[in-house]
Amino acid sequence: MRRKLPSLVFAVLVALATAGVAAAANGGFGPVTPASPNATHIQRAYYLILGFTAAIFVLVESLLVIFIVKYRNRGRSRAVEGAQVHGHTRLELIWTALPVVILAIIAGFVFYELPNIRSAPAAANPIHITVEGHQYYWQFDYTDSKDQARSIGTLHVPAGAVVDLKVVSQDVIHSWWIPALGGKIQAIPGRINHMWFQAQPGSYEGQCAELCGAFHASMDAAVQAGSQQAYEHYLATWHDTIGRQIWNGVCATCHGNLGQGGYGPAIANNSVLTQRGSLASILHDGVTGSQGVMPPVGDTWTSAELDALAAYVKKHIYKAAPVGATSGG
Amino acid sequence: MAVRSEAAYPVGWKNGRVASWLVTVDHKRIGILYIATSLVWFVAGGILAILMRGQLATPNETFLTKNSYNEVLTMHGTTMIFLVVIPILAGFANFLVPLMIGAKDMAFPRLNALSYWLFLLGGVVLWLSWFAKGGAAHAGWWSYPTLSENFPFASPGNGQDYWILSLHILTLSSLLGAINFIVTIHNMRAPGMTWMRMPLFVWGIETYAILLLVALPALSAAITLLLLDRTVGTHFFIPSQGGSIVLYQHMFWFFGHPEVYIMVLPVFGMISEILPVFSRKPVFGYKAVAFSTIGIAFFSMLVWAHHMFTTGLPVGLDSFFMISSMVIAVPTGIKIFNWIATTWRGNLIFDTPMLFALGFIALFTMGGLSGIFLAAFPVDWQLNNSYYVVAHFHYVLFGGSAFGFFGGLYYWWPKMFGRMLDERLGKWHFWLLFVGFNLTFLPQHMLGLLGMVRRVYTYHHGGLWEVYNMISSVGSGVMAVATLVFIVNVWRTNVLRKGVRAGNDPWLADTLEWYTTSPPPPHNFDSVPYVTSPRPLRDLRRRLAEQPQ
Repeated sequence: MRRKLPSLVFAVLVALATAGVAAAANGGFGPVTPASPNATHIQRAYYLILGFTAAIFVLVESLLVIFIVKYRNRGRSRAVEGAQVHGHTRLELIWTALPVVILAIIAGFVFYELPNIRSAPAAANPIHITVEGHQYYWQFDYTDSKDQARSIGTLHVPAGAVVDLKVVSQDVIHSWWIPALGGKIQAIPGRINHMWFQAQPGSYEGQCAELCGAFHASMDAAVQAGSQQAYEHYLATWHDTIGRQIWNGVCATCHGNLGQGGYGPAIANNSVLTQRGSLASILHDGVTGSQGVMPPVGDTWTSAELDALAAYVKKHIYKAAPVGATSGG
Repeated sequence: MAVRSEAAYPVGWKNGRVASWLVTVDHKRIGILYIATSLVWFVAGGILAILMRGQLATPNETFLTKNSYNEVLTMHGTTMIFLVVIPILAGFANFLVPLMIGAKDMAFPRLNALSYWLFLLGGVVLWLSWFAKGGAAHAGWWSYPTLSENFPFASPGNGQDYWILSLHILTLSSLLGAINFIVTIHNMRAPGMTWMRMPLFVWGIETYAILLLVALPALSAAITLLLLDRTVGTHFFIPSQGGSIVLYQHMFWFFGHPEVYIMVLPVFGMISEILPVFSRKPVFGYKAVAFSTIGIAFFSMLVWAHHMFTTGLPVGLDSFFMISSMVIAVPTGIKIFNWIATTWRGNLIFDTPMLFALGFIALFTMGGLSGIFLAAFPVDWQLNNSYYVVAHFHYVLFGGSAFGFFGGLYYWWPKMFGRMLDERLGKWHFWLLFVGFNLTFLPQHMLGLLGMVRRVYTYHHGGLWEVYNMISSVGSGVMAVATLVFIVNVWRTNVLRKGVRAGNDPWLADTLEWYTTSPPPPHNFDSVPYVTSPRPLRDLRRRLAEQPQ
């Protein structure tokens, strides 16, 4: 009894605490609501396993509680022995065989769902994207587009289209994960991995799922699945926004949204922002020295993108140092 | 083989109160040193955990960020695994194995002392890395390259080198210990103690030692190559120069998964000792429990790549590792059901060791079942590296291993020190830890499913994320209070000497360690009874009871 009562109180409290907040969404009792067929089929496998494991959990924990209550000491002396049962071969065979059967069902169901999770549906023309994990941002290359369009942080795709992702990295291991659009795949230097999705309309968030350094927590990713027109509009106009995207998705992580500084130094007053050549070499090679270190965040950027970034920071970020100030920080 | 250092007569400085502990080769003292040292690091690693939960209690917290957070998570994991769970089990094994098998000491007492001092050294080296150039290691406890390489934006400085050096020292310590345990168990059992009459804890240690011997060399090799990469310019794990990161992943997890069972099989053994004694019954199905230990150990060496389902392995490999991982659930299930059956029709006595043993079953079941989701590789693609995994392995390693070894501490404390830990404080300790543990780790399952990845120093979401994180942080505070209660209990029992004096056998237990005095004399036993069953002490009690007065 001593053990049962607090357990019950605890169970009720936990149930109350979680039921209320869980009513809003799925509450974390199942995967995030899927928005892509692979995520849907993963969710099915999840719920099948949940069914079996929940049943076993209830069986084991209630047997435990029942035996605790039923065979409790009741003031008997320690010298009083319980039934000297040494085992029961048939029972033991049953609880060996039963898990085998359950696990076989689970494995069978996983293999049944697997083709729908692994392979994209045959599509006339899937969209090919190269996803490059980079300390600390995601870069998307639209390899089908005429002028090798690119975006930073947010991937723009048409809803309903099959999107084939080639996931790579040059620096350290990252892991691509948008929960609503299926599972994870690591971006490993020296390897090419694949992932796909077919998103319903909407915007979906995720983040890097493999520790990749100081700013791992800031390495967000988003997928914007809109209309075909919106997608084509992005491909046609990506040049106009890439400077801002780079600033927001890459530079601002350390230097702050306005270049006011943060993890990295304040650069809003730094005249390098106005010098395209020096800016490009810092971005390409990084900085190692007494002022601190900066990763070579821009080592894969084209000169058009560097132009766009240089133009953007010169216009929107750079604030000439007030007259009389000697240092830009 | 004779035990010489603990001479019966004073022989100078070696008998001093402190010096006698420094030069001891007595397995009991070495065991106690192991356990005490591990508990100190348990507190240190726990403080790191509290720091992390403090940072994560609310969104956008700025109390411990970026590199500091990464250092703390790396040191927490490495400390808890290599400086707490493995060595505390080595401590129990040192203290108990010779006593349980009726031997005078371990087979190689000096080697045994060397193992302990290497462990202490390895731990100190790891914690010195806080002072290293560039800070402590911050690439996580598995230290995947290239983040652990000596690159400017990965792991420059010497923290990672300290980490490697420390693990090399600890590996050597564990290997020497493992050899010692195996030789002792194989050669020094009491007359009549056949393999099928051996205490189940000794079975646990036998498999623990074999797994250490098999798995640790893979770790040594991996971190040696990493060290060469970092210091002399090789490129085993640098892809741009032809190296392979996936190779490191294989090498690390070939060690890393047996490691999980290294940390839990001896605890299974403890539970198999405690449950029968406090149920006043024999363990249900001795052979099934012993052989399932061996089964788990065998299969634990065939499941390593389930840590690598998101690496992009061929689907055939993923399938193999899913099935092998599921297979391991079968012998584990056998144990759980046999333990529950052990309580059936018993006379259950809820002393603190029993509470921890029952708590272990309740929590480990949860950790085992959540593991089935992770074994199914497509589901793992969703759950991998999320807080779900953090919850899962804490249910296994804290709800499992730590609850088990706390139960073991309460159970064997009277044998180690001759005094019982206080039952009232013990029960407070258990209940606070049980409630705090579930508050901390149950919500983390939900966080992972909501999309929170592990090893992030902050998050921006409010709502459920904030609620679950706050519950989890509050729970970690409750666990800290529980640990304080335990410290007070130890202080009260051993320092203030208020613990009740224990006789040879305060629990009316079954195994040989309870045959000798509490604490045992340096030579352990004046004589050992001939062993005719796995429960020699019960046999003895019955023979005494049957004798005509």
